[in-house]
Amino acid sequence: MSREPEAITAILKPQSKIQDPFEFVEERAGIREFRVRSNGLRVLLIQNRVAPVLTFAIVYHVGSRNEAVGHTGATHLLEHLMFKGTPEFQRAKGTAVASVLEALGARFNATTWFDRTNYYETIPSDQFEVALRIESSRMRRALLRDEDRVPEMTVVRNEFERGENSPFQVLYKHTFATAFREHPYHHPTIGWRSDIEEVTTERLREFYDTFYHPNNATAMVIGDFEEDAALERIAAHFAPIPASPQPIPRVYTVEPPQEGERRFVVRRVGQVGWCALSWRTVEAVHADTPALAVLGNILGGGITSRLHQSLVEKNLALSVSVVPWQLRDPALFSVFAPVRPGVELSEVESVIRQEIARIAADAVTEAECAKAQTQIEAEVIFDRDSTDQIAASLSEAIAVADWKWYAEYPAAIGRVTPEDVRRVVLTYLHDDALTVGLYVPKPGQSEIVEEEKAP
Amino acid sequence: MTPTTAAAPARRAPFAERVRQRAFANGARVYVLENRMNPTLAISGSLQAGRLYAPEDRRLIASITAGELMKGTARRTKLELAEALESRAASLSFSSDASDPVGVDIAGAALSRDTDLLLEILTEVLVSPSFPDEELQKEKKRLVGSIRQQQDQTSARAFEEAMRRVYPAEHPLHRLTGEQRIARVEALRREDLEGYYGARWGAGSLALVIVGDVEAERILDLLEKALGSWRPGPAPAIPAVAVPPPSPCREIVAMPDKASADVVLAQPSDLKRTDDDFLACSLANSALGQSSLTSRLGVRVRDTEGLTYGIHSSLGATHVPGPVVVSLTVKPDSRDAALASTLDEVRNFLKTGLTEKEITEEKSSRIGRFKVDLGSNSGMASALDAAIYYGFGIAYLDEFPAKVAAVTKEQADTAFARRVRPEDFTIVSAGTLEPATQGAAGTAAIET
Repeated sequence: MSREPEAITAILKPQSKIQDPFEFVEERAGIREFRVRSNGLRVLLIQNRVAPVLTFAIVYHVGSRNEAVGHTGATHLLEHLMFKGTPEFQRAKGTAVASVLEALGARFNATTWFDRTNYYETIPSDQFEVALRIESSRMRRALLRDEDRVPEMTVVRNEFERGENSPFQVLYKHTFATAFREHPYHHPTIGWRSDIEEVTTERLREFYDTFYHPNNATAMVIGDFEEDAALERIAAHFAPIPASPQPIPRVYTVEPPQEGERRFVVRRVGQVGWCALSWRTVEAVHADTPALAVLGNILGGGITSRLHQSLVEKNLALSVSVVPWQLRDPALFSVFAPVRPGVELSEVESVIRQEIARIAADAVTEAECAKAQTQIEAEVIFDRDSTDQIAASLSEAIAVADWKWYAEYPAAIGRVTPEDVRRVVLTYLHDDALTVGLYVPKPGQSEIVEEEKAP
Repeated sequence: MTPTTAAAPARRAPFAERVRQRAFANGARVYVLENRMNPTLAISGSLQAGRLYAPEDRRLIASITAGELMKGTARRTKLELAEALESRAASLSFSSDASDPVGVDIAGAALSRDTDLLLEILTEVLVSPSFPDEELQKEKKRLVGSIRQQQDQTSARAFEEAMRRVYPAEHPLHRLTGEQRIARVEALRREDLEGYYGARWGAGSLALVIVGDVEAERILDLLEKALGSWRPGPAPAIPAVAVPPPSPCREIVAMPDKASADVVLAQPSDLKRTDDDFLACSLANSALGQSSLTSRLGVRVRDTEGLTYGIHSSLGATHVPGPVVVSLTVKPDSRDAALASTLDEVRNFLKTGLTEKEITEEKSSRIGRFKVDLGSNSGMASALDAAIYYGFGIAYLDEFPAKVAAVTKEQADTAFARRVRPEDFTIVSAGTLEPATQGAAGTAAIET
């Protein structure tokens, strides 16, 4: 008997009655995409029955990229207020989002980044309904009350202050602010302090009403579930929500090419200086992204990497991190290194530049390229060990590209050649596209002061 | 209400039946759990070679010996070891955290196609580390730099100073100042590590847990062949550690240029992880301060008053009685208000105990989280390793939900109240702070 009828049945399966609210879009690498016909909500399903656990996550395609001066940090502050409640889930009723999830033993949180805001909960799979009720409630029914924003603003301000205590975070914020002058990647996701303090509840509501709609979101279920039942419950909670009345505004600001090296210095009291070099690169979906990722691994992935060998093993730096930022719009390729006290910051800067020049001149070896590819490909397999890891990786992919980009990433990495790595160094990592940041420690003493002794 | 229940995988056999185990003649114990869902494996293990066994004036030998194990063996240099692992995306580490004075942690991961490679390196490093002097000299310079880096961090400074004040110099939980640690690092010699390794490392207290896409019997055979003839070393033994009396005081570590300050409240307690009432005490602690969003401290100091981004209470209990610690971050000029609210909430909690709703929710949370954490190879390996490390046995994982369910409100209240007295806290604040005017830190100042 021909196998064909079975194959056709498999293709037709998504048309079954229960899935009527959905349009089946595509399946690849174990990921099945559906779209809610009535409102455009995208839904991704990945079965992974490692344990009786599932992760439900929603990515909203709104991040600090959608903000402007005056309301920088609004996306993040809004994300905090989403925990303050909806008519169904709020502290006054003893049903605060966090309490309900905590009582289930859920691992849950929400995070905001340049291109997206995500909400997720990893829960015992028999509690799926609770996650659906919370997230569908938050999509359009957040309370966003001024009496909640006021204490939450100072919570977020302390989060900002904690970031200011970290030399790495200070450097990364200054780096983006220096390398991007026109594009909204200029400002950090946490926002500028005065915007955090002054933005009004009305402005946050306007932001919510502009961006929190099903047609600007992707929901995903990963783990232990049965497809028809999951789709039926998703439809019950999300299909009644209408699409946005207005189109979602697009970001059209383009950062012009950089025409010369930029430098900045931050001086604060401390003992350890830092050095950060960042070059302007490309958007995540660009064909050169995989080669930049492989380059990042060759320079900074582990003890055997080039910068670890030339900086840490030589006792010039205490550690080194290489970040090939992957964002929706053109981003950066960054190297950050805390410098060992006693070593000049300029020496570390010069070694980093020399290592880049060495690749431009001599390329990398086949073995280095293969090792980087193995490590990046293995990450995808390790991710599958837990549903929340898959959700985290997939959320980032959706934010900067789409889920197919995630599905195809390992193969794209596998196609990178040593010559590609050299080519991206020559194309992007040149001085005119470079921003150098130095965190220079200023002398100053800490001292221990006794406040009070117990009687 | 629960549409996915029907689709959940069939109920699994108890861990006690699924885990294969073998004790070797030299004392090493190996546990293997086959889980074929993903082609990876995770290793978690322990060995009794923490700082408790190191000389009082050189506790840091324990952590540096563990860390230097990966720096070379009789057969391979550090770079060769790293190349072998990194080229296959495998990882392996040995570490000894100051907060657990007894154990060294072993952690590893690989794709299952590289199982033999990972086990070969694990056994090679355990049995024949070479402690190259050149690597130690490099590590000493890096460590001095890292200590200086920590000295710039308000969180590290507040915690370090609190532990320095709570525990006397001879106690394994005592922390030295940064400058004292730098002097100890600089005085270290290769012989110190070799001597400590020779005295403490051996199969006698070694336990290894391997979870993943592996064949249990083959792994047990392979490890028996590689480790079965390793020297037994010292038998497992944990000397008693005295609990010091509380030494309440308030201090500031004044550090310029810090936008956020860290506050640590700590007091010694006699609570050990192996105590019968540990679980009860830990449920009470969760209600007080495990979560910045939902606990008593979180709801008051963060959610209602907006005085902190993060506030937590924790129990430092291990095989050794550990401290009760509450920590929070604050805008420096809100410190007095945040501290007053924190202490007030601890007092309220001790006065009222848990509500029925709290104990019910904490129990269901703990049971649910336990299931969620068992959702990966590394999660299962860690849970098994902890159950073995504390002598509970594998069946503990099967019995855990029932043990949690059996805890009563009275047990939780009693266990916590017996260990925590608000007036016993040593309180250290680190950041750009001025000392409070006399008595002000104890009053409920309100930030405007």
